[in-house]
Amino acid sequence: MIVVGLLAALVIIFLAGFGVALSILARGDRVNPVECACLGWLFGCGTVSLLLWICGMFCSGLVLQMIVAVCCLALAIFGWRTKRIANSRFDLPKPANIIEWILGSIVVLEIAALIFVSFKHTLGWDGLLNWEIKARYAFLSGGSIPAAYYSSAGRVFSHPEYPLTIPFTELWLYLWMGESNQFWVKIIFPLFYAACAPLLALLVFRLSGKRWVGLLIAALLPFVPSAVANPGSVVVGYVDIPLSAYYLAAVGYLLLWFRTGDLRFIMVFGAASAFLPWTKTEGIILWGVFVFIGFILSLAKQRLRQFLVSIVPGTILIIAWRIYLRLVHMWPHSDFESPGFDAIRHNLGRLGNIFGILFAELTERAHWSIFWFIAVIALIYLFASRKLEKIALALTIIIPAVVYSLIYILSSWPSWTAHMTSSFPRLLLHVMPPAWLAIGLALSQARREAQPL
Amino acid sequence: MRWRFYLHLGLWSALFVVLIWISAPIVGSAVMENRVGPAETNRSIDSYLSVLTKVDRASDKFSDAFQGLGKEGRLIIFTRDGNPQSEFLGMIMAYISWPREVQLIKVPGDTVDKELVDIKPGMVAGVLFCSVNPPPWLENRVKLGSRIILVPVTRASP
Repeated sequence: MIVVGLLAALVIIFLAGFGVALSILARGDRVNPVECACLGWLFGCGTVSLLLWICGMFCSGLVLQMIVAVCCLALAIFGWRTKRIANSRFDLPKPANIIEWILGSIVVLEIAALIFVSFKHTLGWDGLLNWEIKARYAFLSGGSIPAAYYSSAGRVFSHPEYPLTIPFTELWLYLWMGESNQFWVKIIFPLFYAACAPLLALLVFRLSGKRWVGLLIAALLPFVPSAVANPGSVVVGYVDIPLSAYYLAAVGYLLLWFRTGDLRFIMVFGAASAFLPWTKTEGIILWGVFVFIGFILSLAKQRLRQFLVSIVPGTILIIAWRIYLRLVHMWPHSDFESPGFDAIRHNLGRLGNIFGILFAELTERAHWSIFWFIAVIALIYLFASRKLEKIALALTIIIPAVVYSLIYILSSWPSWTAHMTSSFPRLLLHVMPPAWLAIGLALSQARREAQPL
Repeated sequence: MRWRFYLHLGLWSALFVVLIWISAPIVGSAVMENRVGPAETNRSIDSYLSVLTKVDRASDKFSDAFQGLGKEGRLIIFTRDGNPQSEFLGMIMAYISWPREVQLIKVPGDTVDKELVDIKPGMVAGVLFCSVNPPPWLENRVKLGSRIILVPVTRASP
């Protein structure tokens, strides 16, 4: 029965997200089912977690479970109706030659292997004590996190202020399984990888025009040790890979919108970027990066209004979560000091060490192999192309990495270097898929003419 | 310009080969290590507790022990400052003792003594020592595992 419940929970998540994705993408002639499925998982997790959070304020238990399930099915029906009204059809792109078949098969095998491997590992420290803990407490309380948890000084180590995409996706699985099963719940993390890898292939293909390059890049994705073998990786139940999948989707569709002006792409961007701050606190930084870069891109194409509308959902989510934390009297966390002129001036001497640790991390072969060396070469290609969209892509990698480094100026740990060395490698994971996107574009850049800005 | 194309292709091929060459052993070992399962409810937490306390299915046993403390009162958990295993064990205890209120206290040495003085008995259900030793004078100890000792606090009659 546990597995049946698990499957039902996964199908409902997928249906909700598929409905949202379809209602956006079906406004064109053709819909790529692979694209819809990848976005379906991302949007499904975001939607279900949001619905559980909102509805959980008013009801609990089986009523909550049924209301959310009905909403999810309604979204699926809405998506299907949109497709029918728009008279669009599913069009599955098939590999064109033997190389694409081989690369596509490798990607599928890697996904299957990661699903298998993730069941061999337990939830990691953060996976258990920052994320799953919220799911379990909410499950034991009928579907919502009790206010006592937020104000509990003794459980401040579990960061009650962290947002709920992953905990409430886990909660959804628990509600359907009927128990807080720490073994089966791990399925959601390789599924984020399974959404991320084909999406990466698709975005590289769309932006470069070469499908084999996209498939090659997706096949190389698990060869970054941090993605599959270190803290923060797919197999230990941290949120960094899910966040990176949302970030990749937002980056990719923002660039597609810039290139084509297609409204569907800015809508996908709006949805994907909104879930960034709903997945991890650092998502606010990534969202802020989009506000900056998207503003420049939209000004260049004189589409500022479309862009401003697209960031409304993210803005609402950020504000709503802040208000909620105030209402539940959340115990203040203490990893960072409040950003103020005095604090920054006092800790400015850390800068040299911070960039030293950044360089040491980027060149740590046990974590990254030579991935960042390759990424730097790709960034040089992108800047050399002198095309605004490629420079924007480069900035979506560089700015978060620099900002993530600089936030340790405000670290309140007794040993801020220990704070940085323990958490920074995971933060770099957020920009890894866009960096692969950059590598794909650089790889496919040969014999293409550079265009002026 | 054909040579530029081949140079480009050669560069990226070499980079990818080196990437895989370095990564494959690291990724491979992560893929090969451990076994699947068991598919148990407290799979992760029991796995950690098994290593840290040498007790199988510890989460159920410890939860039962905490329930025996009664419904009221908080649980004081002492851990050793700067000892990741002790601190992790303390956090796991806080995790499984929900919904009881907990208080995590880090102590610098390996024995707790003066930190106990400030505790008001009427508000405390029990004291837990994670990889730290209780003071010699403290009685009524219950050894939950190899590094963990629970001391239920007897309440004074009203």
